[in-house]
Amino acid sequence: MSTAGGIIRALNSGIKHLAIRRFTLRYPEQKLKFVGDGFQFNPETGVGIAGLRGRHILYHEHCTGCQLCSVACEGIAEAIGMVKIDETWKQNKKAIMPQIDYGKCVFCGLCVDACPFYALYMTNDYELSSFTKSALIYTPAQLAVKPKISQDVEIKIDDRGATHG
Amino acid sequence: MATQLPPGIQLEKVDDRIMTLNVGPQHPGSGHMRLIIKVDGDYIVSCDPDPGYVHRGEEKMAEYRNYIQNIPHLERPVIHDSCNILYPYCLAVEELLGIEVPERAKYIRVIASELNRCIYTLYWLAIYGIFLGHSTMFMWPAGDRELFIDLLEAMSGARVTHAYLVPGGVRNDLPANFEERCLRQVDYLEKRLKEYQSIFYKNPILISRTEGTGILSRTDAIRLGTTGSVLRASGVDYDIRKKEPYDVYENLDFETVVRKEGDSYARSYIPYLEMFESCRIIRDAIRKMPKSGSVRTKLKPNPKGGNDEVYKRVESGRGSLGYYIVSNNRPEPYRVKISVGSFRNLICMPYLLKGELLGNMPSVYWGLNYWPVEADR
Ligand code: SF4
Ligand code: SF4
Repeated sequence: MSTAGGIIRALNSGIKHLAIRRFTLRYPEQKLKFVGDGFQFNPETGVGIAGLRGRHILYHEHCTGCQLCSVACEGIAEAIGMVKIDETWKQNKKAIMPQIDYGKCVFCGLCVDACPFYALYMTNDYELSSFTKSALIYTPAQLAVKPKISQDVEIKIDDRGATHG
Repeated sequence: MATQLPPGIQLEKVDDRIMTLNVGPQHPGSGHMRLIIKVDGDYIVSCDPDPGYVHRGEEKMAEYRNYIQNIPHLERPVIHDSCNILYPYCLAVEELLGIEVPERAKYIRVIASELNRCIYTLYWLAIYGIFLGHSTMFMWPAGDRELFIDLLEAMSGARVTHAYLVPGGVRNDLPANFEERCLRQVDYLEKRLKEYQSIFYKNPILISRTEGTGILSRTDAIRLGTTGSVLRASGVDYDIRKKEPYDVYENLDFETVVRKEGDSYARSYIPYLEMFESCRIIRDAIRKMPKSGSVRTKLKPNPKGGNDEVYKRVESGRGSLGYYIVSNNRPEPYRVKISVGSFRNLICMPYLLKGELLGNMPSVYWGLNYWPVEADR
């Protein structure tokens, strides 16, 4: 193959891309859709359900204050601390529940694996940035809130290339 | 007035013709490492790689954590290839604890690690492109990588640090309709990869810069103990997936890519050709995978390994990656040694760069498929 021919061929394959769709996701306007409602556990089989590992969600009515999630996180990020809560739940005699510091959490989800009462799951919410460090510490009350999310863009593939929505 | 030097310390004798250059350790052009290069005009006289800037003590950290808590930090050395770096760890711990892995989990692990190998290779290719000043080759793989990141995100729930493989199987089953979506995106990526040929690999400018530079002969490749694509580019047919098949690789249909030239072009071409083989493995694994069944054998809480030691290795994106684990009846390992391909390939850098043009340094260096963070662990 001659040098000039090779260079023309290379330029040509670049020029062909003018006709190909834009692949970039326009982030704050478009948000990628994930499978499911976040990483959860199936109580029957004891195996995880696929989903994004984002912010946690804590079901106060299941949590017994057994601290296993905080023990699991001890060697990983030490992001979970057990704190006193004001509510009274009959399954939670000690009245303690996990509080998660998202400045430290690495979103591995091993605390979800560790929780034997299926009280701690993860959600699709990944937008956790804040202006202060203290705002990254989520109390049990904040963790109980189900996040409102609108994520609907998917990767589409057709003969003009792949694109986001 | 001559400065009095402390006893035992000498100043290096410098030839006036020779200039010493420090490449790195800041990021552009070297990754997190330093190359001390001596040049005579435009030619490199000697090269002294100086790794260790991102040493994080992963091996020591592993001695204080139990077998499950070790998972998230052990994948940190190569976050772009996190399934492959966890793979030998899982194999080793499974042997240590005597755990059987369900058949379906084995196939899922193979799919995850092949997807991850492609993600790593595309990232490597993007950086290889920008090292050589080919900015299109930076943008195309960096964009196409997204397709596979998206697949692994659907599988594992994280985009880069998946923590998906665990001793005993995988963390969760595949989502619904995953197979169909996976095949569609694998087909599309394969189509895209073919376009890289004309713009990059068959581009006369790339060929003239890389062909015949940094030649590593077959005997030298074996003698220096190189591994992975560097070894295969020098004509040695050695792939751990073929030679010591782990999990289900022996049932799968793929070939080892070998080239004889041993130059920098061959070293950069092999990972690219292997991506096609990875696509083939993924398709075959999806076809042969049991359609249902368990994916994880539950471990006891805080499992203890016996008085034993194991060594397991896999073929990662950068060559052989092995874990040597010694346990002494405790929930934590007594010693974990990670043997990585990057560090083993680093040794040939002084040999390859001697007598090369300084301008060829980036292509030789990054063609070694070297990942500084992994080498330093
Ligand atoms: S996801 Fe991982 S790092 Fe985050 S709180 Fe749970 S165990 Fe700790
Ligand atoms: S979230 Fe689960 S593991 Fe953590 S204290 Fe509550 S019940 Fe125990």
